[in-house]
Amino acid sequence: MADPAVVGSGALVTGSRSSSGKSSSSAAENYQLARRRTLQVVVSSLLTESGFEASERAAVESLTEMIQSYISEVGRCAKAYCEHTARTQPTLSDVVVTLVEMGFNVDTLPVYAKRSQRMVITAPPVTNPPVVPRALTAGQKRTHPHHIPSHFPDFPDPHTYIKTPTFREPVSEYQVVREKAATQRRDVERALTRFMAKTGETQSLFKDDITAFPLIAARPSSIPYLSALLPSELELQQLEETDSSEQDDQTDTENTPGGIGNDEPGADKENAMLPQGGTLPQGKASEENLIDNPYLRPVKKPKVRRKK
Amino acid sequence: MNRKKGDKGFESPRPYKLTHQVVCINNINFQRKSVIGHVELTIFPTVANLNRIKLNSKQCRIYRVRVNDLEAPFIYNDPTLEVCHNESKQRNLNYFSNAYAAAVSAVDPDGGNGELCIKVPSELWKQGDEMKVLKVYIEFSLDQPKGGLHFVVPDVEGSMAERGAHVFSCGYQNSTRFWFPCVDSYSELCTWKLEFTVDASMVAVSCGDLVETIYTHDMRKKTFHYMLPIPTAAPNISLSVGPFEILVDPYMHEVTHFCLPQLLPLLKHSMSYLHEIFEFFEEILTCRYPYACFKTVFVDEAYVQVSSYASMSIFSTNLLHSAMIIDQTPLTRRCLAQALAQQFFGCFISRMSWSDEWVLKGISGYIYGLYLKKTFGVNEYRHWIKEELDKIVEYELKTGGVLLHPTFCSGKEKDNPTPHLHFSIKHPHTLSWEYYKMFMCKAHLVMRLIENRISMEFMLQVFNKLLSLASTASSQKFQSHMWSQMLVSTSGFLKSISNVSGKDIGPLIKQWVDQSGVVKFFGSFAFNRKRNVLELEIKQDYTTSGTQKYVGPIKVTVQELDGSFNHTLQIEENSLKHDIPCHSKSRRNKKKKIPLMNGEEVDMDLSAMDADSPLLWIRIDPDMSILRKVEFEQADFMWQYQLRYERDVVAQEEAIGALEKFPTPASRLALTDILEQEQCFYKVRMLACFCLAEIANSMVSTWTGPPAMKSLFTRMFCCKSCPNIVKTNNFLNFQSYFLQKTMPVAMALLRDVHNLCPKEVLNFILDLIKYNDNRKNKFSDNYYRAELIDALANSLTPAISINNEVRTVDNLNADVRLILEEITRFLNMEKLLPSYRNIITVSCLKAIRTLQKNGHIPSDPSLFKTYAEYGHFVDVRIAALEAVVDYTQVDRSSEELQWLLDMVQNDPVHYIRHKILNMLGKNPPFTKTTESSLCNESLVDQLWKLMNSGTSHDWRLRCDAVNLYYTLFGLSRPSCLPLPELGLVLNLKEKKAVLNPIIKPEIVSTPLEPGNNANLGPLMGFPISQEDEPPGLELPPSVPALPLGQGLKRKAETPLGSPLEPGQVLEKDEDSNKVKLKIRFSNSQEEEDIDMDTVHDSQAFIYHHLNMLERPSTPGKEPPSVEQTILSMPATPISIFGKETNSSSKHSDHHHHHHHHHEHKKKKKKHKHKHKHKHKHESKDKDRDKDKERDLHPFSISPASGRSVRSPSFSD
Repeated sequence: MADPAVVGSGALVTGSRSSSGKSSSSAAENYQLARRRTLQVVVSSLLTESGFEASERAAVESLTEMIQSYISEVGRCAKAYCEHTARTQPTLSDVVVTLVEMGFNVDTLPVYAKRSQRMVITAPPVTNPPVVPRALTAGQKRTHPHHIPSHFPDFPDPHTYIKTPTFREPVSEYQVVREKAATQRRDVERALTRFMAKTGETQSLFKDDITAFPLIAARPSSIPYLSALLPSELELQQLEETDSSEQDDQTDTENTPGGIGNDEPGADKENAMLPQGGTLPQGKASEENLIDNPYLRPVKKPKVRRKK
Repeated sequence: MNRKKGDKGFESPRPYKLTHQVVCINNINFQRKSVIGHVELTIFPTVANLNRIKLNSKQCRIYRVRVNDLEAPFIYNDPTLEVCHNESKQRNLNYFSNAYAAAVSAVDPDGGNGELCIKVPSELWKQGDEMKVLKVYIEFSLDQPKGGLHFVVPDVEGSMAERGAHVFSCGYQNSTRFWFPCVDSYSELCTWKLEFTVDASMVAVSCGDLVETIYTHDMRKKTFHYMLPIPTAAPNISLSVGPFEILVDPYMHEVTHFCLPQLLPLLKHSMSYLHEIFEFFEEILTCRYPYACFKTVFVDEAYVQVSSYASMSIFSTNLLHSAMIIDQTPLTRRCLAQALAQQFFGCFISRMSWSDEWVLKGISGYIYGLYLKKTFGVNEYRHWIKEELDKIVEYELKTGGVLLHPTFCSGKEKDNPTPHLHFSIKHPHTLSWEYYKMFMCKAHLVMRLIENRISMEFMLQVFNKLLSLASTASSQKFQSHMWSQMLVSTSGFLKSISNVSGKDIGPLIKQWVDQSGVVKFFGSFAFNRKRNVLELEIKQDYTTSGTQKYVGPIKVTVQELDGSFNHTLQIEENSLKHDIPCHSKSRRNKKKKIPLMNGEEVDMDLSAMDADSPLLWIRIDPDMSILRKVEFEQADFMWQYQLRYERDVVAQEEAIGALEKFPTPASRLALTDILEQEQCFYKVRMLACFCLAEIANSMVSTWTGPPAMKSLFTRMFCCKSCPNIVKTNNFLNFQSYFLQKTMPVAMALLRDVHNLCPKEVLNFILDLIKYNDNRKNKFSDNYYRAELIDALANSLTPAISINNEVRTVDNLNADVRLILEEITRFLNMEKLLPSYRNIITVSCLKAIRTLQKNGHIPSDPSLFKTYAEYGHFVDVRIAALEAVVDYTQVDRSSEELQWLLDMVQNDPVHYIRHKILNMLGKNPPFTKTTESSLCNESLVDQLWKLMNSGTSHDWRLRCDAVNLYYTLFGLSRPSCLPLPELGLVLNLKEKKAVLNPIIKPEIVSTPLEPGNNANLGPLMGFPISQEDEPPGLELPPSVPALPLGQGLKRKAETPLGSPLEPGQVLEKDEDSNKVKLKIRFSNSQEEEDIDMDTVHDSQAFIYHHLNMLERPSTPGKEPPSVEQTILSMPATPISIFGKETNSSSKHSDHHHHHHHHHEHKKKKKKHKHKHKHKHKHESKDKDRDKDKERDLHPFSISPASGRSVRSPSFSD
């Protein structure tokens, strides 16, 4: 029962607290405030007309509330009457019936409207809605093609759906590509090594100008063979790209976990049970068990000394 | 089993038989680098009354020895610690080599000797009669071992396991005595029980089967128990402990691989083909791998790349590689194959004596060659054989010969089988490393010769027979006398061959095994058109050193128009000319295809050949069935035909070598054709690159077209559309990969008329570097890039130097600037993205040194010195050290030489130390024939010290030092030294009574002159100082050093007034037997240390050496009476005293003159029992008494430190 009222007020563009609030809350509020202020002006002028010189703010508020309620009720009822007769737009007669129904003498209305002392309220200044600057203007906004009715929503801004070419056509000539790749790599390497040389210790080949061909100082490492033997991550990545899968995947899972698992100290339980328990979850458990290598066997617990 | 009684005879030199040994290492401390453990040897005496047991032990500190639970006294004395004792101002190498050989013999287990002499408690003597078992229990420890065991402890945070700390045994030949007491002989086999207690995070890998692993009671350590039921010699026992990652071979579960943490992926890849090698060897030998399991361990700082021990092999970790690396793959496979071949012959089958070593090395090298043939193809195999043959020929011609089977039994000192060498070949430990490598090379080549003679089938049958005999013997658990079947001997091997094949290979053996030297042929020919006969002349040079005369068959292959024909000619004493009838008439069948040796028929353009002759080419000994060098003369077109059409790679390589002398367009064409021909073996093509560069340089004035190989390279490896840009790398085709790598290197050797590298070529190489793109490649391009840097270095030519101006950045040549920029960038990138084995750094360092050497940048070793420091990858260090060595040579820098020698003494890595000496020997700062300011007394002293005592922990290093000494100073006394001083240091008290050399310098010097001749031979000095006085009292420093006016006596080049060691010299002129006396007067440090003991010892060595050859060949055959008096000190070889007595008595004569008699007598007594058994007639009884005395006061049981030589704890 309350809902229609809300809907009605919405329809009457009185603004509503709930429905439009989300999309543009500040605009709706502004509208509401403006309307309210207008009503207040109306109430105040009526009071002035009636001879009041001053009034309390609370009184004005109450009267404003009352007038608002009254107007809203008129609108609601009028809409109800019009809908009752299967129309969408209320007509004068709907309003008249409403007023009558509300116990208002309609005949007095023209007289009242034409009274001499009535005050004219200027229409509130219409401020132009502020122009929202477009985020990105790219291309021209499309209009609807013919087959689409004009009431359909507009196209969104072009940048949301239009591919915008922001680069030049790539040079596909092989020689240039190679040339570029080579230069680029060389530049990167040179810059990088220069940077490293500038920021770190260097050695020089010349005594007169030690900055001429700076060499990053040689630094001994504690385990030199690791960096010398292991492929760099870059290389590994490359390798993965060039040949994936194949070979030894099986053996990987077969041996390593077993070996490591059994090597771990912690074989406190039954020795015989451990390898099975440790490896059963893995896929190749059955095969694993076939490998009888002494280095994979669990470490035995020391024998308890015989008590004498 | 078929052996006759005669050669069954392996007679142990020891009076006992070892049957079982337990080695138990309880504690390995990585922090302190120490090891504690004990051994227990089970021995069966083979003589009644065994009272002395000699074992080998070096470095070990021995705490106690028990024999059957009874404490046993022992003596520890190692004469090899200090070869010539301090006495000597002797600095000549002859003397040293003799003394060193004597010292090694004195502890040689094959002579029944040892450093450790244990006296069997008398309670057990009776047991000996009943031949009862003796158990010898020895507790020992090792503290910071310098050899034998190598600790690698990286200096990083974390526990030892996290740090990757590990330890492994290493050494050259029999070096097991360095880490536990044993009978360190290849001929003493026994079964083993090995126990190692290590940290729970570590793995101990050792020989035999891992029986079980048990935690210690605190659960913080675990003990690995190994059993080796197959009788094995101690030198084949090894150990490595570390936090290894374990990989069970996916194909053979009994094979386990170990590597250091983080390297498992590499291990997996590198080991993925080991099973194929196993299969191959088992198949050709028709024999299963003899051990129940096999282990490979990869360690850092390895002594050698590959070392094989019973059922395990230790490799350098640097052999591991990933799938992306091309160049290392075949090398690693070869190493694996080598290791495995040695498992069969070397570990399982051991040798009877050192002179049988060649059989083992020969067989293992030979079957390794078969593996190469099978895996890498016949071309690779033949190429390898040629390479090895060239190597051995070059070495023998340079040094005078390699003798495979030295026999020492007969003859005297004069008959030294290798008088041309500066070291003795009687022991493996006295051999120069290079000689040993050549020895192995020759051994396998000789095996191949035998195969040529008796066929491969028979050869393999012989091997199979040896193996099956051995495996039968090895399963005889309780019949240890059978175990000698597992030892191979030369005679046994030859007998097997004759049994199996029925052929007599005696002459072959005599020629190549019992005799050193190679054959040098010179061949030339003429074609006699009338007779249609090829007149071939083959001359020999057998007079120069390292050559020998060859008599026998030789194969000659003649390619004629009608086909290829083999002829076997007899090389005889006097016949030089051989007539070979030709089959084809010249030009008779022009149109026909020409049949080749392999049946192929090819079209040839015959326009180049001589119209009168049907000969296309001639080859002498094409199968390399003689160890020879052939210099053959034939026309250039014949070489060109040979290169193009002969299908044998060896022939092609020979042709390429010969074509260098014919820089003609035709040669150029032939080489280019070969380069382009994809069916041609890639190594031949690589060789052709360099030859082409050579030819282009010779033809520089007439050369037309682009620089050699440029258009070829462009066609093969550059883009079609833009020929200056190289294609992105794709190394799937290895042949073309190797060619792509090599061509730029060869091209950079091209020179224009100004003898500069053509600008075009340099730019071309720079472009290759610039456009190199490896992103799409499955393989790493690091070797390729490294070779491009090598190419840059090759393009360098000496800078034009104006008035020796200092090299600065400003006056840098523009081209050189470009090169330097590339090198700088590469070297810096290496720091960020290191390449595999840091190969690019290596190339950069070499290139920088080349720049320096050519005078483009200031010559300065400091950069190299930083790269040479410990902590860089070993290849980088070697390259840097090589540069420093080169700098030392070019700039004559004593500072750098000193720095290098310091590193030799202090570097933790054995290989580096070895390598420095090796490189110094190859590129010496000066030689014996050149004068140099570097050659001075302190250097002589330093090197002398190094080889005398500084390298006692490493046989190989000591021999390297000897080599270097030889290169620098030659055999005789270095010329920079003052007069050889052979002095008698007199008693302090006497000094005043003696002639003062200052007062009468002339008197002193005159008598010396005749003695100063270089031909004096081994001079013998007997300096004697007073020993009985407290050391501090002798020769107080207040006694001034008195320079003598000796300049007159020196050789002409010695500057006058150079200080002579003052003092008295007693000289024994051997010719005249006259004794000259000089007074020696000195306060120098060395003299203070001298004591009688050492003097006598070293004297003894010399005498021993002189006598060595007179002794019976097998020491075990010594008369039994020796056994009873075997009380003699281990330090001094038994047989010395025949002469020693004489000399001692001479001594005493002199001493009478010097009022020295009393003290000396006292000394003499002491020494007499030491060398007693030869003059037992004199003093046997006395000695007996002494023995008894000593029994009452057992020898010190206190730890016998290996370091104190001069106190062999013989205090009675």
